[in-house]
Amino acid sequence: MATTATASVDNTIEVPGRRADLVTGNQTYGSITDMVCRIAEEKTPAFWYPAFGASSLVALMFVSLIGYLILVGVGIWGNMNPVFWAWPIVNFVFWVGIGHAGTLISAILYLFRQNWRTSINRAAEAMTIFAVVCAGIFPGIHVGRAWLAFWLTPYPSLNLWMWPQFRSPLLWDVFAVGTYASVSLVFWYMGMIPDLATFRDRAKTKYRRMIYGILSLGWTGSSRHWMRYEKAYMLLAALAAPLVLSVHTVVSFDFAVSQLPGWHTTIFPPYFVAGAIFSGFAMVVTLLVPVRAIFKIEHLITLRHLENMNKIILATGSLVGLAYGTEFFIAWYSQNQYEGFAFINRAFGPYWWAYWTMVTCNVISPQLFWFKKIRTSPFLMVVVSIFVNIGMWFERFVITITSLSRDFLPSSWGYYQPTWVDGLMLFGSFGVFFTLFLLFCRFLPIVAMSEVKGILAIQNHEKHGHGDHGSHH
Amino acid sequence: MAHKHKTKKEPAAPKSFGWMAEFVDEQQLLVAARKLRDSGYTKTDAFTPFPVHGIDEALGIKPTILPFIVLCAGMTGTCTALLLEWYTNAFDYPYIISGKPFASWPAFIPVSFELTILFSAFTTFLGMLALNGLPKFSNPVFTNPRFDRATNDRFFLYVDSKDRYYNRDAVHKLLKDTHPESLEEVLEDESSADIPQPIWMGITTLAIFSLIPLAAIYLIRESRSEEPRFHIFLDMDFQPKKKSQQTTTIFADGRVTRPQVAGTIARGQYAPTGSYYLGYDPEKVASLESAKATRFVTLGQPPAETAGSPEEGTPPAPQEPAPTAPAAEAKPTGTPATTPAPAAPTATEATPATEPAPAQPPAADAAKPADAAAPAAAPATATGEVNLDTLPWLTDFPEGVATEANMARGKQRFEIYCGACHGITGDGNGLVAGRAAELAQGYWTPPTSLHDAKIRQQPVGRIFHTITNGKGKMGGYSSQINAEDRWAIALYVRALQRSRNAKIEDVPEGERAALGNP
Amino acid sequence: MPAVLVAVGAVCLLLSVGLCFLNTHEGNRAEGVQFFMHSYLTNYMYCLSFGLGALFFVLVQFLCRAGWSASVRRLAEIMASTLPLMAILFLPIIVMVLMTNSVSLYEWNTDKPEGLIAAKKGFLNGPFFAVRSLVYFLVFIGSAYFVYSNSRRQDESGDAKITLKIQAFSGPLIMLYALAISFASFDWVMSIDADWYSTIFGVIIFAGSMLAFFSLLAISCMLLQRNGKLVKYVTVENYHDIAKFMFGFVMFWAYVSFSQYLLYWYGDIPEETIWYQIRINTDNGWPYIAVILLFCHFVIPFLGLLSRHVRRHRTGLFFWACWLLIAHWIDLSFLILPNAGPVESMFLVGHLLGFIGMVSIFLAMLLLKSINVPLVAVRDPRVPEALSYHNIIV
Repeated sequence: MATTATASVDNTIEVPGRRADLVTGNQTYGSITDMVCRIAEEKTPAFWYPAFGASSLVALMFVSLIGYLILVGVGIWGNMNPVFWAWPIVNFVFWVGIGHAGTLISAILYLFRQNWRTSINRAAEAMTIFAVVCAGIFPGIHVGRAWLAFWLTPYPSLNLWMWPQFRSPLLWDVFAVGTYASVSLVFWYMGMIPDLATFRDRAKTKYRRMIYGILSLGWTGSSRHWMRYEKAYMLLAALAAPLVLSVHTVVSFDFAVSQLPGWHTTIFPPYFVAGAIFSGFAMVVTLLVPVRAIFKIEHLITLRHLENMNKIILATGSLVGLAYGTEFFIAWYSQNQYEGFAFINRAFGPYWWAYWTMVTCNVISPQLFWFKKIRTSPFLMVVVSIFVNIGMWFERFVITITSLSRDFLPSSWGYYQPTWVDGLMLFGSFGVFFTLFLLFCRFLPIVAMSEVKGILAIQNHEKHGHGDHGSHH
Repeated sequence: MAHKHKTKKEPAAPKSFGWMAEFVDEQQLLVAARKLRDSGYTKTDAFTPFPVHGIDEALGIKPTILPFIVLCAGMTGTCTALLLEWYTNAFDYPYIISGKPFASWPAFIPVSFELTILFSAFTTFLGMLALNGLPKFSNPVFTNPRFDRATNDRFFLYVDSKDRYYNRDAVHKLLKDTHPESLEEVLEDESSADIPQPIWMGITTLAIFSLIPLAAIYLIRESRSEEPRFHIFLDMDFQPKKKSQQTTTIFADGRVTRPQVAGTIARGQYAPTGSYYLGYDPEKVASLESAKATRFVTLGQPPAETAGSPEEGTPPAPQEPAPTAPAAEAKPTGTPATTPAPAAPTATEATPATEPAPAQPPAADAAKPADAAAPAAAPATATGEVNLDTLPWLTDFPEGVATEANMARGKQRFEIYCGACHGITGDGNGLVAGRAAELAQGYWTPPTSLHDAKIRQQPVGRIFHTITNGKGKMGGYSSQINAEDRWAIALYVRALQRSRNAKIEDVPEGERAALGNP
Repeated sequence: MPAVLVAVGAVCLLLSVGLCFLNTHEGNRAEGVQFFMHSYLTNYMYCLSFGLGALFFVLVQFLCRAGWSASVRRLAEIMASTLPLMAILFLPIIVMVLMTNSVSLYEWNTDKPEGLIAAKKGFLNGPFFAVRSLVYFLVFIGSAYFVYSNSRRQDESGDAKITLKIQAFSGPLIMLYALAISFASFDWVMSIDADWYSTIFGVIIFAGSMLAFFSLLAISCMLLQRNGKLVKYVTVENYHDIAKFMFGFVMFWAYVSFSQYLLYWYGDIPEETIWYQIRINTDNGWPYIAVILLFCHFVIPFLGLLSRHVRRHRTGLFFWACWLLIAHWIDLSFLILPNAGPVESMFLVGHLLGFIGMVSIFLAMLLLKSINVPLVAVRDPRVPEALSYHNIIV
């Protein structure tokens, strides 16, 4: 019978020809519902309040710093000539990169029929949206006069008599990140509708039923609805897959269309996308390992799920390493003295420490995942994934700062140093992120129950050999 | 169909919508659904906690047209984006940016892609809801509490009473034979289908609050005030900077820069004296003219640039802002008079058409009298202006200038700095001149041909002086070309001039054959 | 049959040489040699790309424990095992580089390089080029052989452990593959213009190879089924999945090609735009090819493969697979031939003959490799899954 005991079953052993269980512990449809709904229905766990309090305080600090910034101006940051794109843009690219895993899991893995996505996609999508929220703040406040940021939208203004400049990659960014945020939100919300209906139908109080009732839009689970819903989900996945790639591609264009050495290289689009997936998966692992332990959903988010993610981290980490190498090689091969210098300077210039942190964390640390011991140990994988997150932040730092601080003219060189506001703002953005994530864990279905039930049906089907429809993997 | 049942009736037998059978397992559901389909029922439906594969076929559900709608929306998105980009950037507000064409199609691709996805994605979601008739909060299937498990772990099969073949008892029997967990009629929901009051209140409150920002924006946009509405960056709006007729807080005396300390020269303003740097012999000037010439020399100021300085007799006042109006205009920041003033070019721009004439003083009225009244003996006119024609120019190159190496250097520098306007051969037909002629701009002064008799007759010192200080539209090059190179250019100019007017005897014997001359 | 094909191929290649040589102007042999070498490289890369794409496909299928492809994977393994034979056809290029100082293909292949090329001498020189090519082929042939031989062994024993063994090695092999194909693209194709560089170039070659491979896979399955082979093994679901990959790589090719174009167009630096200068800013016909590529390699097949019905329709899929194979040839010609200087009309006939010749030889290899070999890895434990799965929604 169904069990929620934490003793997990090792489903990481591969038997060719037999698909491993993705839902362990003899679950039933009802036990899956219980396991997930319980998180939002039971009394708030003890740890939640202090965690929420701390992260919302940090978020509050972030908001206050934004107020300070608006009152005093961007001079409180370390941005200076020639490093005008400094810490805020590093943070922006970092967060946008993290925001790639969720939609990737939901869309691309869906198109590849990777059924293991079902237990982790909801939390990953939520994480995506919260990361994109954090990302969106930084360019918004980086424009200087943040209250005029709406000038970026193409609206017929009677006062300005002008239009945004569509030949600028920065405007592409506005459209790319805007589209990505809204489409991800729609995708996330649409995926939640059946689960919100489950919440509604289990609600004990009138108000709870009303709120989840409104959110679930009157979902009944009718087969006609499911048919259109699945079609729509597939279409959204097919649309979101190229969208995910396009977002970080456009972010890479911000850099690569310029002529700055170290930025102007054609590998940037795929290399940024690989890096984004890499950092996004690392963040998913960092979050989900504690989440599955705290909320006791190890039977839904099994070791196999985590191991698969770690394999993707290994693959994308190696791709990123290949891109670093290619860049370095072509910098020499081009015999362009500025390019050559830009890369030597990265590795041995004044920011050598950032470069080698990046290489260690991004290229070397994921190689540990070649060992099955490490990629199936929850503790070790969190350690590695945190290293990857650090490394990916430094990657953006290296790209942005080293190239800007050493451009063509030695007379305009400089050394960028962040201020305390920069540091606290990065810290504060984590406050925003965790506040939103904690709210999500408390009030929304953190696992896509209806999808997991579909997987369970397939799993049972294979075991008992019902019918004639065969297997899906 | 909530609206239909809004009218409250007396509690009679509640209306039946059809039969609902409950199953514990999707396989049972599929069997029962196939049975219904084979019996000819079409107004049937299944309610399941997850999409049961095979149910579409088992119930005879037809595919949706959603993909087609989405395709249309996507194409609309592409066209919208391309049209928007073309209209805004190439048509309504054409603006050159980084040398790209107004309609830069490659640059328009990313936004077109994003809008394609945006339109398609929202159409997918909204289209799915619309085709499904959602949101629909009041639904008779919710009447039965058992149905709550349709989103949990039970599978329901439903036959609608509006089906063509519907017969209450026949359907009941048919479903009963599939061994459902339960089999009940779907009855009308007797509770009110009206939107509950708290929700109404919530919506109203939200609506009212959402009006506040709109009202605030309206108020701000419609109110009139002389002052800027917000001072968000106080230190930007009220920064201590130079504004005319105002003092600042930067220094105690209200100025923005410090006056020059007596006996010092500001960085970059050292102007060496001596004939090598001036092109004329300052001592001879001193001997020709009295105090005024001496002052030019001591200040290291080229004569033409002192235009607009105080009347003769006024002592030089290097530590105070120049008192007369023209100087004050030329030096708006109140810098001391010792600055090599930008006055000369600024001033002569006012009289561009006087190219053949010597440099004009800024006081335009004085121009012609000055030229006409130049006494042969004195370089300075009665009004205190220096007549360039009568200065004691150097007529020979200084020691060490006339060398082969300098000639080559001069040619190179000439082609870099002078050739663009004067032409590589000095005919006054350089690329810039050609382009200006093409544009036919009325205010363009064509560069002088260096082969003009007038120029040829000028002493070398004067040519050097022109390179140094400019003439007419031409700016001085002293800041870009050092004195050695200026002399080298003058040397090369002399060579160019001579090349047009040489006799065959001037060519060395050995070289004559190269010219094809017997 | 293979013998006939080899004969046809050899004759066509010889005719191609002849046409390029004989139809040059008096005393302008160099032009003909130059064109022929570029044409040879184009057609060679075309045939090689099937093997390269197949190798990556096979490795990825094992790495991802894919079930859907188990029934068509053997065909890919056979395509990948043509790589050793293809290596022989690379010998003329190696010989030219090692034995001569001819700059008719690689402009760095000279004793007296000038300018930037002189500075790259340490990398771009004959012996090192040959050594690197050897290493690339070792990687490609080694991995292809490893997978193929083990897979064949499974045909005999049916041992599921073999699947696990290949899976365990496929990770490192893919990393080697990625390195090798990146640098092979730089060496073999990009360095024909030794001054020019683009970091994404390897990815562009890779994208084209994958597209070519999937098209060829679809066509071979259909032809085999028409001849009564594989009838039970390749289902409409397999075709649908292959078609989805074709569709995906049509987009991926457009994505990487556009990325390179946009960045160089925007940066507008002469040493980078020179590559496009001789392709889309001249009056010798290449700009038309660029437009043809845009439409025939992306827009039209994209719209054509958009529909699920077309992807599941045999004739429709066959049509688009053939279409894409031709588009891929045009693509490679566009990548390589403009560097060969002016193109005479007879050269084009030579190019086409070279194409026929090289493809005939490739087909001969393919047939040679597939004779007496089971066309399905029948005892692969994942074959049942490949035969029974359904594309439910996508």
